[in-house]
Formats: sequence, C-alpha cells, structure tokens
Amino acid sequence: MPPKRKSPLPTKSKVPALPTSDRAILQPTLDLAQQIYDQLYKGDIPRMKLPLRTKQNIQFSSREGVWRLGNQSGIRSARKLDGALMLLRTFWLVDFIEEMARDGKHSTLRELYYISEQWEEAKFHSENESNLLVEDLEVLCERMREDFRLRPEENGASVIGDLTLTEVNRKGQKKKINCRDDVGDGGYQLPANVEKEKITFSSHGAKFVLAIECGGMVDRLAENGFDEDQNALLVHLKGQPARSTRRFLKRLNEELKLPVVVFTDGDPWSFRIFASVAYGAIKTAHISHYLATPGAEFLGVTASDIENYKLPSDTLSDRDIQALKAELTDPRFNTEEWKSEIELMLQNGKKAEQQSLAKYGLNYVTETYLPEKLTEMGVL
Amino acid sequence: MPPKSIAEELASKQKAISIGEFFERNRQILGFDNPSRALLTAVKEAVDNSIDSCEEARILPEVLVEISKVTEERLKVVVEDNGPGIVRKQIANVFGRLLYGSRFHSNRQARGQQGIGISAAVLYAGLTTATPAHIVSKIEEDPAANVVDLFLDTQKNLARVVKEDVLAWDRPHGTRIELVLKARYQRGRQSPFEYLKGTAIVNPHARLVFVEPDGTRTTWERATPDLPALAKEIPPHPHGLELGELDQMLRRSSSKTLQLFLSTDLSGISRRGISDVLQKGEFTGRENPSAFSPERVERLLAALKDTPMATPSAECLSPIGPMLIKRGLKNVLGSLRPEFYSPPVSRPPKVHAGCPFIVEVGLVYGGDLPSDQPVQLLRFANRVPLLFQQGACAITQTVADMDWHRYGLEQKSGAIPVGPVVLLVHVASTKVPFTSEAKEAVAHTDDITREIELAVQTAARNMKLHLSRRTRRDQAMEKFTIIQKILPRMAQKASGIVDKPVPDLTRVITRIMDVVAVEAKGSGEDPAKPSPRTSLTLTNYTSRIRPIELFLELPLESVKEGFSAEPAPETVSQELGRVTFPLQKLTPNAKVTYTLTWPKGEEMEAEDVDIFVAGVDEAHLLGADPLPGDWDVRLPAALVEAAENAEIAAARPTPAEGDEEVDYDATEKKESFADEE
Repeated sequence: MPPKRKSPLPTKSKVPALPTSDRAILQPTLDLAQQIYDQLYKGDIPRMKLPLRTKQNIQFSSREGVWRLGNQSGIRSARKLDGALMLLRTFWLVDFIEEMARDGKHSTLRELYYISEQWEEAKFHSENESNLLVEDLEVLCERMREDFRLRPEENGASVIGDLTLTEVNRKGQKKKINCRDDVGDGGYQLPANVEKEKITFSSHGAKFVLAIECGGMVDRLAENGFDEDQNALLVHLKGQPARSTRRFLKRLNEELKLPVVVFTDGDPWSFRIFASVAYGAIKTAHISHYLATPGAEFLGVTASDIENYKLPSDTLSDRDIQALKAELTDPRFNTEEWKSEIELMLQNGKKAEQQSLAKYGLNYVTETYLPEKLTEMGVL
Repeated sequence: MPPKSIAEELASKQKAISIGEFFERNRQILGFDNPSRALLTAVKEAVDNSIDSCEEARILPEVLVEISKVTEERLKVVVEDNGPGIVRKQIANVFGRLLYGSRFHSNRQARGQQGIGISAAVLYAGLTTATPAHIVSKIEEDPAANVVDLFLDTQKNLARVVKEDVLAWDRPHGTRIELVLKARYQRGRQSPFEYLKGTAIVNPHARLVFVEPDGTRTTWERATPDLPALAKEIPPHPHGLELGELDQMLRRSSSKTLQLFLSTDLSGISRRGISDVLQKGEFTGRENPSAFSPERVERLLAALKDTPMATPSAECLSPIGPMLIKRGLKNVLGSLRPEFYSPPVSRPPKVHAGCPFIVEVGLVYGGDLPSDQPVQLLRFANRVPLLFQQGACAITQTVADMDWHRYGLEQKSGAIPVGPVVLLVHVASTKVPFTSEAKEAVAHTDDITREIELAVQTAARNMKLHLSRRTRRDQAMEKFTIIQKILPRMAQKASGIVDKPVPDLTRVITRIMDVVAVEAKGSGEDPAKPSPRTSLTLTNYTSRIRPIELFLELPLESVKEGFSAEPAPETVSQELGRVTFPLQKLTPNAKVTYTLTWPKGEEMEAEDVDIFVAGVDEAHLLGADPLPGDWDVRLPAALVEAAENAEIAAARPTPAEGDEEVDYDATEKKESFADEE
C-alpha cells in the first residue's frame, strides 16, 4: 500500500469527517480562520486578540480563592515577524490536532516540537515557543491541552504515605495501590493524567499532605519514618511542580479534605513554587481554578527560619535579588505576610536549602524542626 | 711611604663601565628580563631587522622563524630572510656590538633604530647558554655565504669571533641567524605567534613562515605585491631640536655660513623664515657655524623655536595606507569571517616635537569574534606590534577614555569597551615617543593622543553606522520574510479551512511594508560578498505613486574609468564619488532595478554604496537614507575630515503605528519567569 499522502491543504470535502467532539473543541480555531480570511480579503493586516498572561493581568477570584486571568489583552499581529509566525503556527497546529483526531493518536509536547520540522518556515525555534502556543490554544478554546490530544512528558512526581488509591493501568485494569506498603523506596509515581477516570481515592490514614521541593528531603523524611509517625502524606514537588502534581494536590485537598503544607528551600524561587501551588501560576492563570489549592500553607524554610535556626546560608545572588524585587510587584505576593517575608530576605541577603537543617544531625528535621513548625501552624 | 689620600684610593677604583656590562646588569631595559619575554624579544629584533633590510633593498620580504627545543630550558631560534645580506667584515659589528647600526642617525621611520636589539639577543644567548650566535649571510655579488660564530664581549663591546667559514648557500642573498638561549615557549597574548600575526597584518607585503617547537607551521601569505614606498631621509626639523644636538650639528656642518646651514642642514625653513631667524637671533648670516660659542648656539635655538615654520615633510614616513590596512586585516583575520571592515582611517601627518607622525586606525566587527570579551586592541608603532605594557600605552588610554556607548558598545567607565571588535592603531613617526627603551608603549603626549582619538572616533562612527544599517536591514529582512513567506502560507491555510479561494494579498502586503524599499545586492554567489556588479532594487510598497530620485555615494576608487550604471545616471562625479539618477515615478507595487558595474578588476560590497533617496520621507524609506538637505554643499562622508564631531543620526525608530496596543508576542511571558512546570 502506498503511504498515505498528506495533502498540504486538506479541504473539508476530501478528508474523513472529524470526530464531533474534536470538532466542537476546535470550533474557536475555525472561527479564527474565518476572521483571518476576512481580514486578508479586506486588505487588513491579520491580527487576533488574546488575554495577556502577565503578572500585571492576573486577578484574584474570591469565588474560587485563586488568581485567574484578568481582562487585559494584547494583539497578535502579522505586522511583526513573531506575531505572523505564531498566527501561521496556530493553523499548522490545528491541522496537526485534526490529523491526530482522525488517526486516534496523541502526542507529547516534545513530539509536537519535532513535528513542527514539517512546518517549513513556521517551525518552532525552541520548545518554549511550542509550549506557549499550546497554552494560547487552551486560552482561545477554553480547553485543556489534553483535550487537544497533547500531553506533557511523564514527570513522575512521587507520593509516599498511607493513601490507598485505584489506578486504571495501561491495560484498562483497575489496580489498588497503597502508597506506603505497595511501593518501593521511590514511592508511588504520579502519571501525567491524575483525573478521576484514571485515579480514584479509596482510603487513607493521613492527617495532612506535606509537599516537598527536593527529593533528598523526601528521602530523609521517609527514612526517618515521618510519614508513619506523623500520619503525613509526602508529595515530591520536584522543583516547579508539573500540572499533574498540582492537580493531584488539589484533589487530595478538595476530595479528602487534607490540609496541604508546602516545605521548600528558603530562596526566592521557592516562594514562586508555593505561589503556583496555592495561588495559581501566571502562565496557567487561565486554568488556575483547576490546578491551584487555595488552602495550601507555606511552612518554610522562611527568611526568619534561617536566622532563628541559625542555618548555614549562601549570599543572595544578583539574580536572586532581582527575583525577590520582581515578587514585590507580583500581585499574588501583595500581602503583609509575604511583603515582610520578602523584605526580610532582601534585608538579610541570605538564602538556605532545606537540607541545611542537617547541620544539627539527620533527625533534627523530623524530631525538632517540622514538629515545631507544624505545631505553630496548627496542623499537628 | 706617605699614606694615600682617600680621594686617590677611590680614584683607583673608578673606571668606565662598558656598555655591555651595563646592559648585562639591566636586562629588563632591553626586554630580556624573563625566559618567555627574552624569546619574544629575540624573535622580534631579528624579524624587525630582516624586514627593515629587505625594504631598504627593495626586496619583498620573506622571513622564516623557527623555534625548536634544545633542552627543557633552552630553545633554539632561527630567523632567516631573503634580505640583501651583510658583507663579511660587517657581520661581526652588526651582530656582535651594541649600539652599532645604520639607522640611528637617519631621520626617517624605521623599525629598529638604536642598533641595540639583535646584538642584545646575541649577548643574552651567550650569557645564558654560553653558545655563540651562528650567522650565515650571503650578498648577491659573492658566490658563497659567509658563516660566522660569535659572542659579544661585554667589556670591549666587540664581537669575539670563534669560527669563520664559507658555505655554498642555495639562495641568491639573505641572512640567517641562529641563537640558543634560555627561554620558554608559549602561545597567548604576549607570544612570538601574536607578534608575527600582528607583523603580518601591518606588513601585508611580507610573507612570514613560523614553525613552532611542536612542529606546527603557520604561513602568513603576502596580501600585496607592492613594497611600501621607501621613507625618505630628511634633515631634522628645527622645532624638534635640542641644544646639544644643534651644537653638534653646527660643529660638524660642512656649511661655511650660518645662512647656508639654515637652508641645507635643517628642513622646513623658508627663505622668509631664514631672514626671520637671523633677525630674531641678531645674526648676519655670514657667521661660521663651526665656531659658535655656547651663548650663540642658545640664541640660535631660541630664534629657531620662535619662528613659525612649515611642518616637517611626511616623506620620511611610511604609513600603511587605508587599502593595505584593510587587506592586511582581511588576510589575517579573514578566517573569523568578520561581518564588517570599517574603512580604515589614515590621518594626515602631524608634528610632535619637530618629528612628523601619522596615526592610522583599522576596525573589524562581528563574525566569530567574541562579543562578551573586551575589544582586541592591536597596537603598532612603525609597523611593529606592541605586546607589552598595554595599560601604560597612550593608545590604550585613549581608547579607554572614549565613551563607547554612543558607538553601540558596552563599556565600564574608563575601561576598554566590550564587543566583537578588533581595533588596530598604528603610530608611525621618525621618533615615536615610547615610555621606555624597551619600546613597548607609546608615551602620552597631547598631539599624538589627540590624533589617535580622532582616528579611532572616525572608525567607531563607521562601525556605529554599520550597526544602525544592520538594524535597519534586519527590520527590512523581517518584513520581507513576512510578506514573501509567512503571509502567503497563512492565506492559503485560512482559505483552506474556510474553503474559499486565496484572496489577493497586494493590499495587505502594502500595508505591512508601507515603505519604499531599497535592496542592495552583489552579483556574486554570496550577494553580501564583494562582486563585480551591484544591483539596487527600489520597490514601492506604499499605496501612493512615488516620484523617486536615487543618489549614490561610492568609494572613490570605484567611480573611475570603467564604471557604468544601468539605467544611465544623470551625473557622475569622479572627484566626489557621487552618482545621481533621473527622476522615476513608481506606482504602488512597482519596482525598478539599477545595476552598477564596477571598473574592471574592482570588486565592491553592496555595503560600500551609500544610498540616498529623494521623494520619500524617512518613515517610509527602508534600506536607504533620505537625501540630506545639505547634499549640494556638503562633501561626501568619505572625504569629510571635519565631520569629526558630528553626531551619528540615531538608528531610525520603527514606525509608531500600532503602538497604542500591547504586542502580545512581546509580553513578559517570553521572559523566563520561572513560574511553571
């Protein structure tokens, strides 16, 4: 059989019909095509309007308790090369999604980046560009990227603790897993899809969730038996947490009513990790209501912890200072608590890793630091 | 026996110190203070001598430098040239005596002067390895070469010849010297390699071959077959004279009268000047110069200094010249593929302390040059690279003291700017003022510093002009990419989705461009490289009919016999390098192409053409400048000396249309706000 030739210009009449659900999902892109066509026909420069995903354009939604996109928008115009390229790429991307829908396929974001090699002058120059375009499409269609058959790389954030869940595995079989007894030292690995059709919660013996930035600290708490001693569910954030990790935390919080406590390094970047868990990230502000856990609390390491516990510290770099100053103009940090925290860090000029607590021995974090902090917060 | 007086006792210990012994103890003065520097100095002195002697004999220099390892601490240096050779009885004097030379007394530009250099290397070799210098030299008249092995006797300041021989040598003439000395080989900033590279740049008529101890062989081919004009010897200029010097000249003069002395033994004095000097010094002119009392000498000097005179002739100088600076730079730096060679600057001769001097500057930008490193400063004095004492040098200080931000480079105040730039500065003079005898840094003097500043500023302005042109060209390229590649595809895709025929895009294209665009291209395979023809295409991407007049400023050498243009120009000025064309009416979306054919053998870069267009305002012009209002009264930039303080027109801002709305693709989500997965 000769290979299926892909026409560069699929016209509706020649190709098999798109599954109805996919057509509905992509309807806004068809409207966009019509809009661009009309502009070209009239002799206008093609342009489209998109809400800005900047820190100046996020608003607190008191109903959902998270930060969502505001009303400011920008213009993507073919007057500039970047804008022209992104408009053209949008059409290529829609083509690609339709092709996947017809073939019943899915792709990773990284594969999408490589697929664009076929897009001639419109190919992506970096994966950042392709990720941004997918987010643009999410905003345009008010959908999630999974609806477009696009998924992230497996991120593999892990969970350790007394939680029994049921996962539908690749073969479609339901598998019951206890995240403490049925897993190895690495814990239970979160799949990219953590929705109800994939994971349901069965039972648990946890009192709270401890979301931890670094793998080394997760291992320390597990080895010290912190999960069992304190009935904690340990979730590894792996730096900036992936969408699935944030979504999973939100489900634990909403469905199991478990308080979520975030334990990170004491530096400006950790503040942003917490913000994306608790308030919603700027880049995904259009789906904050779906990803952010409004009740999550920041445990530390705080700027005052560095002083109070006399932790070994590093001097803030120029980039760190810049990041802290940027946070002072970030609406999500516009509270008295955060302002004083950020200003204290700026004033002391110091940052510390969570593992610096080992200064006082391997058990100090589980026997002294965490119990003290958690008691202070009212969790224990 | 009467006791000796203390004075007598001391007197018995007082004796002359020989020059040789003095230098033996003060090696740093001559550049032999450490093993790696000693190696460089030895190579430098030998090579300078070789090229000087070739030029004097009007021979295109070919110099071989070979360094090999003898033991861990000892290196053998061989320098061989195709110069005229040295007659047998002079070999011992040239190589075995300090302060022996032919150029010290001559008043013209030369690399070596004092006659210290190469004999100091022989002295150093003898001191550190007890090995004699091995010299082979053949003059054209002799059938065989003379071979001499010698040491320098420091007490007598004479050669101690240890072996003499003759040798059949397969070359018509030339000199070879072999030295074994305590030395260390290295590459890097202050190395024989860098020295030879620099030498190759400013001596494009020389062919240099360098063999390193590990066998690596580098050849710098010659970039021009023309020897530089031989600098003429001229009598000293009165304004540069010192009292003792004048006294000596008077004593030795063969002129019978002061009048005659003034007109023949000194340069730059007119007949009028002579009578002025005589009057001011209260001389008759009939005095015998050889019998002047000290008081008279002083009076004469005062009168000379007090009388205005013509500047000394620059015939005694041998500048490299703009064309050869560019060729030399291209020859040596070409592998870095720089995107821009500034038209080199050769300042008119000026005078410092009675000695004429010329400052020349070349500048190279971009390509593979590192953009995060300080500008590479190549300093030269009389065609010799200066590798040491960069910080103390007037050239460095002048460059660091300039404000480079205005030329588009980053700079910490008072430091060498940062950017992908090689900057060549050459100071040529009969007497370059150095900070020390080792001749490593040009001393700070107001006259010379000022000239360096003016020359570097001119080159920097050219660079800035190139950068703003590049920005404009990039903007033009961007628009062309949009209308030629992106937009048609976008129209095709959108039309496909809505299932309608692709609409006509002319109006959209006109709207996006909204300019009259000028595209300059070479005719060669790479349109950006020099080529025998250059084409200029003017396209009217606006919605109006545009009456357009094209004006060009071209390099002078390109507008001579053999230059032609199609369509035919209205006027061609060979003196000014200007070409103008008759008025054309361009309807929207119409284009016209002008083809310039360069004189036979000339190749030009599209960038060498300065393009001006009348009839279109600046905001609607791409790839050219609007015709300046003072075009008729102003000289072309290439000829303008006085433009020195003119501000460069800032790069034209992009059209302001659409500014009120936020450009979505330029918002901060593009910055790395580490806030997501």
